[in-house]
Amino acid sequence: MIYFDSAATTLQKPESVAKAMQSALRTMSSPGRGGHPAAMRAANVAFQCRSELGELFHVTDPERVVFTMNATHALNLAIKTLVPPGGKVVISGYEHNAVTRPLEALGAHVTVAEAPLFQADAVAEAFRHCISDDTCAVICNHVSNVFGFVQPLEEIAAACRERGVPLIVDASQSAGILPLDMEKLDAAFIAMPGHKGLYGPQGTGVLLCGKEQEVRPLLEGGTGSLSAMQQMPDFLPDRLEAGTHNMPGIAGLLAGVRYVRQRGVDRICRRERYLAHLMAEKLRGVPGVQVFASENLRQQAGVLSIVPEKADVEALGEELGRRGIAVRAGLHCAPLAHRSAGTLKTGTVRLSFSDFNTSEEVLRAAAEVRNCLRR
Amino acid sequence: MEHDLILARSVTYAQRMQSALMRAGIRCGVFRAPRELTERGCAYVVKVAAYDLAPALTVLYGASLQPLQIFHFSEGRYQEVRRDLF
Repeated sequence: MIYFDSAATTLQKPESVAKAMQSALRTMSSPGRGGHPAAMRAANVAFQCRSELGELFHVTDPERVVFTMNATHALNLAIKTLVPPGGKVVISGYEHNAVTRPLEALGAHVTVAEAPLFQADAVAEAFRHCISDDTCAVICNHVSNVFGFVQPLEEIAAACRERGVPLIVDASQSAGILPLDMEKLDAAFIAMPGHKGLYGPQGTGVLLCGKEQEVRPLLEGGTGSLSAMQQMPDFLPDRLEAGTHNMPGIAGLLAGVRYVRQRGVDRICRRERYLAHLMAEKLRGVPGVQVFASENLRQQAGVLSIVPEKADVEALGEELGRRGIAVRAGLHCAPLAHRSAGTLKTGTVRLSFSDFNTSEEVLRAAAEVRNCLRR
Repeated sequence: MEHDLILARSVTYAQRMQSALMRAGIRCGVFRAPRELTERGCAYVVKVAAYDLAPALTVLYGASLQPLQIFHFSEGRYQEVRRDLF
């Protein structure tokens, strides 16, 4: 199978990930729950994982690296910390339901910084225009999960700093793929999955917390600290990590993070961008296909979308699957992004890449798209 | 054997302390805190040799790491160390 659905989950992982998970299952119990070797092994792996994530994303204090179940969990923690019911929030036009649904549940007053696809300057300008002094938070993804559009994060962060508004970054499609610097952005929170560009297993996610950021837990329970007290600890990461940790997941995530650091984010980024551009170029030559990809390399990550003019996107996705090419069709849990790009009615077929894909796979998939649409 | 225990608010904090001390060449280990030392419940300590306490605290304060309390173990019992002595 050719796997082009890494924007959902990277399927091909480094060998070290499965090995680390198996070892954790056999040898680790739970961090902070005892002083015996199995607990301390778990604690050491968890700490190492926090530390290496901190180094990758420029978070000096490993305590501010919080483990979550996934990026959605991390985003919920961030959003429910910063946005009170009915609070004013500014988001980009390319956000995922992981952002918009919690905001809807809070009854937040949401302003969309609307801008055309692949027009980074227009996005930055829209944010500058929409942010006001009573904005509770700005939320923006680094890369659109539908179109691979790299949003102008630094400019948006600068606009937030100017107005003193906290920024939440959804790095679901960029963590491990594009450089991301928590310190430089001065973001309140950065949320990310462990199972995409960081090559960890499903069920892992991370919330990076800004300095002096107060946080509100979603869950209360045991933390292995201050056990005689009935209030949750007021310090990180314990405040946000009630209950037993996913140690096989964290061990696998650490192995994935080490793979990314060893390969180098820049190198992974170059590869994914190359594959995306090659795919876009080949698909532009297929009659009856509309390709959503930027000509500007810097505005495109390893994700792109297409719309067949005379076929249903789900039918094309299914046919490609039958031919051994795994893609994702539909709305990709991001109706707002489709609305912004004008593809809400049709949806798109998304092709997304990882460090394990090759140009040969891209050429074969492009040929199969052509064959499918010829029928 | 005489030693000192530096009480940390959590296992992660104790590990940060351990990491800073190891980088400075000070041998130490992270252990569960004896129950008698933790009235607020479970906690972890960084254990250092008694002769390493002063340099250890210099390293920790230099890294903005704050011990909750410090205990000296001698003759089978713990005694809190006044931090203003360091």
